[in-house]
Amino acid sequence: MSEERPVVDEKGSACRESGASCCGTAAGAAPADVKALVREAYGRIGAGERQGCGCGCGSAARVSAHLGYGTADLSAVPDGANLGLGCGNPTALASLQPGETVLDLGSGGGLDCFLAAKRVGLAGKVIGVDMTPEMIERARDNAQRGGYINVEFRQGDIEALPVAGASVDVVISNCVLNLVPDKARAFGEISRVLKPGGRMMVSDMVLSRPLPAWVKELGSAYTACVAGAALRDDYLRLIREAGLGDVDVLDERDAAAMFVNANDPLVSRLLGGNALEDLRGAVLSISVRAVKG
Amino acid sequence: MIDQKLLEILACPACDERPPVRLKEDRLVCSVCRRAYPIREGIPVMLVDEATIEPEEEAESGAASASAPRDGKAA
Repeated sequence: MSEERPVVDEKGSACRESGASCCGTAAGAAPADVKALVREAYGRIGAGERQGCGCGCGSAARVSAHLGYGTADLSAVPDGANLGLGCGNPTALASLQPGETVLDLGSGGGLDCFLAAKRVGLAGKVIGVDMTPEMIERARDNAQRGGYINVEFRQGDIEALPVAGASVDVVISNCVLNLVPDKARAFGEISRVLKPGGRMMVSDMVLSRPLPAWVKELGSAYTACVAGAALRDDYLRLIREAGLGDVDVLDERDAAAMFVNANDPLVSRLLGGNALEDLRGAVLSISVRAVKG
Repeated sequence: MIDQKLLEILACPACDERPPVRLKEDRLVCSVCRRAYPIREGIPVMLVDEATIEPEEEAESGAASASAPRDGKAA
C-alpha cells in the first residue's frame, strides 16, 4: 500500500457505506458508544482500509511533515508505522533521556513509540497502549519488522490504564485524548502512573470556542476528533486538577489550517463554501507539557 | 515474550488500587479480583470486558489462607 495515496475518495466511500457507524455522531453519543465508534473507525485505519483521517487528513507523509516530524524521523521507522493520525510531535518535545520508561497512550501504528524507543535506548522501555485490536496488531508487526526490542504494546483503555502507579517517567500521547469521553479520568490516570517528577507531553485537538451544532452533526469520521475535543481552558484545568503542575503549552496552532485543506474535494463537499470560515480559529492543535509533583 | 521489567508494572485495570498481575501460563491473573487477561500473539489484552474469572483455587494457590477464614467462620 502506498503511503502517498490520496485518501479522500477512499474515506468518502467508506463513510457512505457504513453510515453513522464510522461517522462523527460522537458529540451526542453515550461514552460507551463513542468508544465503539472510535474503535471501529480507527480499526479500519489500522487494518489498512483507510488512512490518515482521524485528525489530520491527507497522505500520512504529508500530514506528518506538517506536524514537525523530520524526514530522518520518518524514514527511520518501519513502513506502515506512520498512519498520519497525529496532531503534533510529542516525542520530539518530550526531551526523552536514555533509560527512561515511556508510555504512549493511543499508540496506533506505533510511530511515536518507535521514535521514543530510539531516544530512550536499550536501557529504556516504551509501552504503547491502544484499545483497537487492528492497531495493536499493526504496531506489533511494525515493531517486529523494525527490530524494536524495547517496545511493547498492550491492548487497553486509557480511562483504566493497565499500568502500576508511579511507574513511568514520561507519558506521551498524540491526538488521542480528544477521542476519550472522560478526559478528567484520562488525566487522572496519567497523573497516577507518572513517577514523582515524571512528565506528560501530549499533542491534541482542543477548541477555542464551542463548535456550531452543524459541525457536530456532520456525517464523517473527519469530525469525530473535533466533536470530542474539549475547550482549551477546560482541558488545561483538567490537567491541573489531576495533580499535574507546571502546565505549559509549548505549541499552539490553528488546526483548521492543518486538517481542513480548502483544496480538498471532500472538505468542499462536506462543508460547502463559507462554512470553512466558521471553523477557522475554532479548532486548535496544542502540545502541552506538565509535570507530576 | 513480555519483558520482566514491564511485566512488573503491568496492573489490573479493574481494581482501583491497580494491583500487579502475575503471568500464569498463557494469561495474566490479578491476585485481588482473580480476573485473567488473555495474551494474544504476545500482546496482553488488558480490557476488563475480555477478562475471564480464574477459578478460586487456581488463582489463590499462593495465598489460600487469605479468604479461607470467611468461609469457615460459622465453625
